[in-house]
Amino acid sequence: MKNFNLRDFGADIWERSNRPVRVAIVIVVIGLVAMMPYAGAGFLATPIAAYDAVIVYPVAIFVLMSLGLNIVVGKSGMLDLGYVAFFAIGAYTMGFLGIHTSLNTWEIMPIGIGLAMLAGVMLGLPTLRLRGDYLAIVTLGFGEIIRIVALNVSWTNGPNGISGIPMPPDIGPLKFRLDDQKVFFWVVLAMILMTIWMIRRLSVRRPGRAWEAIRQDEDAAELMGVPTLKYKIWSFTLGAAVGGAAGVLYGSKNLFVAPEMFTLNVSILILACVVFGGIGNIWGVIVGGVILGYLPDRIRFISDARLLVFGLVLVVVMNFRPDGLLPRKKREKALVKKGANS
Amino acid sequence: MSKTLLKLENLTMKFGGVTALNEVNLEVKEGEILALIGPNGAGKTTVFNVITGVYQATSGSVLFDGHNLVGRKRFQITGLGVARTFQNIRLFGDMTTLENVITATDVHKKSGLVGSLFGTPRARREERENRTKALEILEFIGIDEYSDRLAKNLPYGVQRRLEIARAMGTTPKLLLLDEPAAGFNPQEKVELATTIKKVRDAGYTVLLIEHDMSLIMGISDRVAVLDFGTKIADDSPTVVQNDPRVIEAYLGVPADAS
Repeated sequence: MKNFNLRDFGADIWERSNRPVRVAIVIVVIGLVAMMPYAGAGFLATPIAAYDAVIVYPVAIFVLMSLGLNIVVGKSGMLDLGYVAFFAIGAYTMGFLGIHTSLNTWEIMPIGIGLAMLAGVMLGLPTLRLRGDYLAIVTLGFGEIIRIVALNVSWTNGPNGISGIPMPPDIGPLKFRLDDQKVFFWVVLAMILMTIWMIRRLSVRRPGRAWEAIRQDEDAAELMGVPTLKYKIWSFTLGAAVGGAAGVLYGSKNLFVAPEMFTLNVSILILACVVFGGIGNIWGVIVGGVILGYLPDRIRFISDARLLVFGLVLVVVMNFRPDGLLPRKKREKALVKKGANS
Repeated sequence: MSKTLLKLENLTMKFGGVTALNEVNLEVKEGEILALIGPNGAGKTTVFNVITGVYQATSGSVLFDGHNLVGRKRFQITGLGVARTFQNIRLFGDMTTLENVITATDVHKKSGLVGSLFGTPRARREERENRTKALEILEFIGIDEYSDRLAKNLPYGVQRRLEIARAMGTTPKLLLLDEPAAGFNPQEKVELATTIKKVRDAGYTVLLIEHDMSLIMGISDRVAVLDFGTKIADDSPTVVQNDPRVIEAYLGVPADAS
């Protein structure tokens, strides 16, 4: 009984490789993904919206945000329905500082990330004692509060939003241009790679174990000496940091931010990417972000029916693969290696 | 006389109008196996929950190794050297056996999130130490052959033993075992008794809740009996076994006596 399983297939190749081969695999994969902006001519082309813009936003930004939300929802099992708030904080930081100061995108980036993390801690400290549904409700409220504040205070220009946000300065020969967004894609890709690196690093060490334990049984974790509140706040804050970074990039790419971009829908959609792709599994989440980011633009030619089709795809896939496309499942290495069976 | 490791003083725990524990005094000496027995609902698990900080005692104090545990956070109590198992198995099912124990060994480690992220020498060293220690514990308990299996896929008996191994991962001075033999057949109980003795001989102090009398009589140095939240006996196993109040608590009063 040997059924093909993509995860085991990939993991087997990985485990059989030595270090140079692994490095080569990583470089080739990153290289191929970096070529994505050139693949827009054929089947992948998106009608109406420009392909090179679509793969920056929504696709790459969605992937980045899904990875960030996955730290919160997938790793430590806290349902966050207000993730858009951190995205909004990043985007507004970029917008406000971009037009009022001479700071450029790269200088604003750490500030945006810092503010998002600060918001994460401030929201996390009082609310992360809550669990499950209660936490979901509070975070949902937080997401809406940020949007409504942006809509009503004067320094955000209220409903008119902030326009005229500067593009990032060129990096050597790599130029940011409105009609050619390759460089943007590469920047977001770099952020995605850093996020993957961060998650993979943390997953196999103490914080990853703490999150995993919290997700599976918070009380047992606490009684086994895991400072659960501390690690929940860390998880929340790291998720916020990634969301903030995505927001800064988005603001700088879009040149315009307004409250209506940061509705509950975005939180739900990013959560859908995580769940659709495979909650808790980095590769699943990436696939989810790519598909849910890309699909609506690919099928734009059917205009009004596209959201219907989009919804149908979600329902059908979740029916056949309730744990997502690439579910989290750990392999039992001993079974493979020692051939033990009991 | 060896020194007292844990001392419960006039410990009272009330849930609304229900008094689960009423002025319980109990001492656990270093290096002994103390069995805590009593009919269902007597308050045995409540004692564990108060010691480990799950419940805050209504009054009284829990002195452990010079610290008062009442009011401390649960993970801090674990850090001071008290670890427990659960009556209903509560392992981290999606983790491997080894990871379950490693998670517990983290409690005494210093490196946090930043160290782990950048792989500082200390974080790397601590990861290695954790792994070595966890493997030692699994071997000690005799379940090392399962180290890479997911906890939820383990046979029931191994899960029970892993509960003990995980608790030992926190390097406790005092090990609280909540019905470790529940659901075991006689053969498994004998094996478990051997294991518990081995754990004690390795320098751990054991406080044990158990229903199986033959197991208790075989391994415990002392037996304390709870009934309706009150301690009614506390002595050597043979004395307790013949104590009329204990027999009454378990079997009721003979008809001709009432």
